Amino acid sequence: MTSETEPVPVDPPWKRDFPLQAVSEEEVTRREFARYLVLGAGTMAVANVGLAAWTQLRSINAGEPRAITDLAAVNVGDTYLFHYPGDDDPAILVRLTDTDVVAFSQKCTHLGCVVYYKTEEERWHCPCHEGNFDARTGAVVSGPPTRPLGRIDLEVRDDGVIWALGRRT
Amino acid sequence: MRTSARGRRTSSAVVLYVIILVAFQVFLITVAVEAFQTDTESLAWATAAVSVALFAAAAAFLRYLRP
Repeated sequence: MTSETEPVPVDPPWKRDFPLQAVSEEEVTRREFARYLVLGAGTMAVANVGLAAWTQLRSINAGEPRAITDLAAVNVGDTYLFHYPGDDDPAILVRLTDTDVVAFSQKCTHLGCVVYYKTEEERWHCPCHEGNFDARTGAVVSGPPTRPLGRIDLEVRDDGVIWALGRRT
Repeated sequence: MRTSARGRRTSSAVVLYVIILVAFQVFLITVAVEAFQTDTESLAWATAAVSVALFAAAAAFLRYLRP
């Protein structure tokens, strides 16, 4: 017969199945748990602000002026791949006429796939989701993109070299 | 120290709110990364503003938690 003294604490089933004790087992209070969560939220807020600042800083025409290639090296209707403004930013140039050259970021404004030039249709095409952009202006012609391609300001200098103009203040 | 049932419920609700806000923050990170990849500056800044607001709300909720 059991005596009616203090109730015996009952361990949860998992403790009976796994009777392990950590050396320094600590309890996390509700407030501490919430504080860790808020700390995580703060970290993510800082990351978001950082990403926004980074997005702003790497605007397509924010780089330094740079020579791209000789105009004579690109035939009419041909394209030339390069990187601008950074070494990780793919860009593409097309020579539309003898004197007319345009260049755009090669990243589709929908989800960032690489666009290429369709010579026969004279438009930029994104194969991922069938987005199409105007060859000359980069404006959206069809497909899911809602914004035009990032246009790189160019200049053909007297020596026949094509330059990306970059930041102009 | 004894805690009233109402106090425990309030604490649980606050922790739940904070968890939901953190889940939103994770979602906002994905939006910010997409804005970064597609060079959408306006979306990136809007996401950052909402994220900071959510962080402030989560920090404010901490005041309602008993130590």
